[in-house]
Amino acid sequence: MGMAFFGPALILLTLFLFLPMILTLIFSFTDFLALNPGLTHFVGLDNYFQILKDDDFRQAFGNTLKFVIIIVPLQSIGALVLALLINKVAYCKTYFKVAFFIPVVMSLAVVSTLWVQIYSPEGILNSILAHVGIHAQPFINSASQALPSIAIMSAWQGMGYQMLIFLGGLQQINPALYEAAEMDHASNWQKFKDITLPELKPLCIFVFITVTIGAFRMLVQPMVMTGGGPSHSTYTMVYDIYETGTVNWEIGLASTMAIVFAFFVMVLTVIQTIVTKDKEGTKHVNKKAKAF
Amino acid sequence: MLTKKQKHFNIILAVVMIAMSLFFLFPVIWMLANSFKTDAAITSDMNSLAAFVPPALSGKFLDNYITILTNTNFIRYMLNTLFYAAVLILLGIIVNGLAGYALAKINFPFKERWLLIIMLLMIVPMETIITIHFLFIAKLGLLNNVIGYVLPMIVNPFNIFLFRQVFVSLPDDVYEAAQLDFCSPVKYFFTMVLPMSKSVVATVSVFTFLNVWNDYLWPSLVFTSSDLLTAQIGLNAITSNDNTTMGQTLAVITLVTIPVIIIYALFSKQIVEGVVSTGSKEG
Amino acid sequence: MSFIELKNVCKQYANTNKKAVTDFNLKINENEFIAFVGPSGCGKSTTLRMIAGFEEITSGELYIDGKKMNEVAPRDRGISMVFQNYALYPHMTVEKNIGYGLKNMKVPAEEIKKKVDWAIDILGLEEYRKRKPKNLSGGQRQRVALGRAIVKDQKVFLMDEPLSNLDAKLRVSMRNEISKLHRNLGSTTIYVTHDQVEAMTMADRIVIMKDGVVQQVGEPMELYEHPVNKFVAGFIGSPQMNFFEVEVEDRQIVFSDGNRMQITEEMAKKLSPYKKKVILGIRGEDIKFDPQNLDVFKDNKMCAVVDNIEIMGNENNLYFNFGGNTAIARVSKYEVCHVGDKVEFVFVPHRMHFFDCKTEEVIPV
Repeated sequence: MGMAFFGPALILLTLFLFLPMILTLIFSFTDFLALNPGLTHFVGLDNYFQILKDDDFRQAFGNTLKFVIIIVPLQSIGALVLALLINKVAYCKTYFKVAFFIPVVMSLAVVSTLWVQIYSPEGILNSILAHVGIHAQPFINSASQALPSIAIMSAWQGMGYQMLIFLGGLQQINPALYEAAEMDHASNWQKFKDITLPELKPLCIFVFITVTIGAFRMLVQPMVMTGGGPSHSTYTMVYDIYETGTVNWEIGLASTMAIVFAFFVMVLTVIQTIVTKDKEGTKHVNKKAKAF
Repeated sequence: MLTKKQKHFNIILAVVMIAMSLFFLFPVIWMLANSFKTDAAITSDMNSLAAFVPPALSGKFLDNYITILTNTNFIRYMLNTLFYAAVLILLGIIVNGLAGYALAKINFPFKERWLLIIMLLMIVPMETIITIHFLFIAKLGLLNNVIGYVLPMIVNPFNIFLFRQVFVSLPDDVYEAAQLDFCSPVKYFFTMVLPMSKSVVATVSVFTFLNVWNDYLWPSLVFTSSDLLTAQIGLNAITSNDNTTMGQTLAVITLVTIPVIIIYALFSKQIVEGVVSTGSKEG
Repeated sequence: MSFIELKNVCKQYANTNKKAVTDFNLKINENEFIAFVGPSGCGKSTTLRMIAGFEEITSGELYIDGKKMNEVAPRDRGISMVFQNYALYPHMTVEKNIGYGLKNMKVPAEEIKKKVDWAIDILGLEEYRKRKPKNLSGGQRQRVALGRAIVKDQKVFLMDEPLSNLDAKLRVSMRNEISKLHRNLGSTTIYVTHDQVEAMTMADRIVIMKDGVVQQVGEPMELYEHPVNKFVAGFIGSPQMNFFEVEVEDRQIVFSDGNRMQITEEMAKKLSPYKKKVILGIRGEDIKFDPQNLDVFKDNKMCAVVDNIEIMGNENNLYFNFGGNTAIARVSKYEVCHVGDKVEFVFVPHRMHFFDCKTEEVIPV
């Protein structure tokens, strides 16, 4: 009877997870072209050497790393600061929680479409900047600013999510710790440094890595906003997989990229699992979820 | 007792944060305010605070919205997406719920190993295999077909695991009592397990809805026919049309956002729970 | 012909080498109220769950109404059960909970209504019938669980510690109600409890278990008066029976603190094979302080200092150090004494029990 209950899921898991995973691995060693499947050969590690030399992929990889480096501190620290402020504020707590979370429920396509307008040369952001004396910026129209612009937008869109996670963690800290620190004449800064931060440390690591993984997977924003340009400056790994596989039908090559991409994401996930495992932070949050 | 100093601090903090939140939300406020304006008005308001204020109520107030709703397929896209979401919520709860229940409460061969495999599958990024999904669906001739769109999205290791974690703590004696009340296992799952686990069912439903509603890549691959597009792909089709004005673009993206805001307002508890519990999927 | 019969029933869980239940043999008559009692982990619940069919019987046979039940699904065994944690369906109202089984049995709607009304009436649940379990008190939930069991007209009732989650006062009144219910309905009932008072007050016969093995089966008074071993003697009755390790010298019993007591020649003879050392057991009410008894047994008067007094109202418990142990005696409220008083008392000789030091089996005297 267990199999009858588990069966439907198992069939779908096999068809849409196990099989695709195995095929991706196999295809990564072939020159499989979906338009011409009869001419498929086993090519060993050729694809892997090819993408190492491929300028587009190298650039996509570099862009992805650059994106990660900009967005991870921005979004994580932004989320932490928001959580600390909301935890402290005495009035309108619910309003703040909702306000900073709103961009999270908006879709990437909506946010990207909106920010194309915001970032436009005559757009609202440049008009605001003009009021504070900064002259017009090209934002997503320039190769040097496009990626940071998308990163800022993505951090804006996503940080509400991690803010909630931090809030959960903050509310889990035993208030008696602060009372004890008060008795010991600790300043506010000392309380933050000696109680809040150490208590949140496991959660910080968790958030850091989740944001990193999310950043690695970035695709929709350049698809909608820049088409990967200008001059490939917003072309990401997943964008390359997508174009190679589903636009050019070079399944073999796309599979190789997918394997490289999956390798990075899975290494990060494993690190996350190891680092956060047994550190009570995550369990705390779990309990908190019920009290929210 | 609050000291006077603390009171002042609280007020100042709240005021500063309200200013911050308004700045944070300026893109959203701008979107809403200008979705009611003509392009000429948007441009002329751009350099003043009027950029963040909706125009005065007049007969033309809703023009952008009316144009979108009457001149484009937009309502159709919204209804399509609602339909896909409903189908995926239903099938997702049945398939993932049954699997989660089996992993939680029923003994079958290699159960522990299956659970481990499900947990390992959670770390596989979907982007890796989406090419193969696309290849499958194309080979099966299911492009531009609802079945082709839905099929790969039903099973979800995260949801199986989530269901399993909740079901595992259901009391066994209720199942035993139901057995003595002549209730079959399948009937027990649908009439007892799911109603007793309303909270997780709601969480999974809400997140499935948000996923389907906000998803971009997969529907953009499967659907090209205008009759089947989801709201997100439809939105892209409408806004990339040169005849669409800026005001209309803002109206479309506002319309696409309204359902998720409604869902968030209704189910914010489940959403917050779901978000906070992602910090603990290993626990 | 017995109604339920267990023959050499054993339970061994996978990956363990100790049996949870060993060679359980019992015949239960129709309409009988049987209590399984013992400390936690003694196998009483496991046995009940084997009868219900929720645990597989490792070896041995189970018959209900003449049919072998080992392989029969729980629902087809003709039983209904009341669970320790009530196991009510949380999203159903009281009446839906009670009628659920009947509905699944495809009983016509009007008949379900009649039966549910009947159960609600005799359990006094009328004003709660539209409520859900979470809005009921523990006692009310227990009544709903009982209602769910009685409407199905099953011949066997199984109850797994049904009162253990209730407070002491409610437990007494529910005890009474279950007894009455059993008398009125007459279904064969097996009642599992760790509380010997429940077993004593409700059951026709008691099965007392320890470590998966049946120690003794019998009517309440039989267990109380004639325990077969030290475990049964100590488990049944409150306060617990007093035990002393004593030596037998000729016709005298010598306590470890040097106190001595005369016994009859016949008794001494029966105790002689046990190489002098035996365990003496005596219940608190058989230690006497009143002048009449002191006079009758004046050769065996003993002395001790009262250590503590527990005042119960109707009677008091006296604690005193004696025979290398703390002994507890039950005295009537008229026998006034104080902590620190030196008191004289006697053991009523024919109320004494003796147990083998090694096997703890009773030595018949």
